[in-house]
Amino acid sequence: MKKERISEIVLGILKDYCEANGITEELTMDTHLIGRTRIMDSMGLVNTIVDIETAFLDEDVEISLTSETAMSLRLSPFRTIGSLCDYIAQQLGAGEEQ
Amino acid sequence: MNRVIIITGTRKGIGRYLTEQYLAEGDKVYGCSRRNTDLEHPNYCHTNLDVSNEVEVMAFVRNVYKENKHIDVLINNAGCAAMNHFLLTPYATAQRVFNTNFMGTFLMCREVAKYMVKAKTGRIVNYSTVAVALNLHGELVYSASKAAIEQLTRVLADEIGESGITVNAVGPTPIDTDLIKNVPEEKLQDLLSHQCIKRFGKFEDVKNVIDFFLRPESDFITAQTIYLGGVV
Repeated sequence: MKKERISEIVLGILKDYCEANGITEELTMDTHLIGRTRIMDSMGLVNTIVDIETAFLDEDVEISLTSETAMSLRLSPFRTIGSLCDYIAQQLGAGEEQ
Repeated sequence: MNRVIIITGTRKGIGRYLTEQYLAEGDKVYGCSRRNTDLEHPNYCHTNLDVSNEVEVMAFVRNVYKENKHIDVLINNAGCAAMNHFLLTPYATAQRVFNTNFMGTFLMCREVAKYMVKAKTGRIVNYSTVAVALNLHGELVYSASKAAIEQLTRVLADEIGESGITVNAVGPTPIDTDLIKNVPEEKLQDLLSHQCIKRFGKFEDVKNVIDFFLRPESDFITAQTIYLGGVV
């Protein structure tokens, strides 16, 4: 799967979440998902991660978004939308076509 | 009833009984065990796996989701026991019991709860034992692994309760299954003496509690452990 497609799926789900929860901030790859400037609470993040994992599975692409450092401000793969996309791309072979 | 139910440890004992009952009630059951089963039914799908193997559990649950796009019920029935004095218990035995009982329940809950959270509905039933409440000599490792499951049940219920999912546990008394085949008779009698109702449990007793947890009307019942036989 190409990195563009990964970003498309992730951004699509995050946009749906924001719309459903009245969040009006513009989403970019630098948008924070955890920490002081995060756009959602921790339960929102968990639900979004589940939705992302399931969305990939619906396309027959298996990823696992469990992480030892999920809630670490410094190390979490869920720090920003960009780091989340990178984490998925890494699992799927560094963003190359699968 | 047309529910999609995952039951672990379906080859024999209570798991087999529950599987046959729910199939008879019209549910679709996905079962698993380490060894093959001879159970055949159009609505039954069996997978050979070790519940403490993360890769196998993930593949199993994903397959159930892919085929149905939803999972209604998870019954974490698979378990193993070990009786021994603490000072004589090998480390490998403690690891094996914790892997099957706690890690198996942990992995199944984690993988299935993902799809239940997405669907905003679902029922999870875990297994404890009266040995937790009774602090029985010789059952330290087994009862500690089940105490861990009770704690998992409470905290998980809290973490995913807002998503419309209930998580509860049933704590059976001794039932005539392979799990207690090596327990001495006097030990079993001693255990029965601690119960308000002094008889061995039956498969039907366990199913009755599980059915209570699964009833649509039980959507406000969560984080609970119900012991059979009146053990307090």
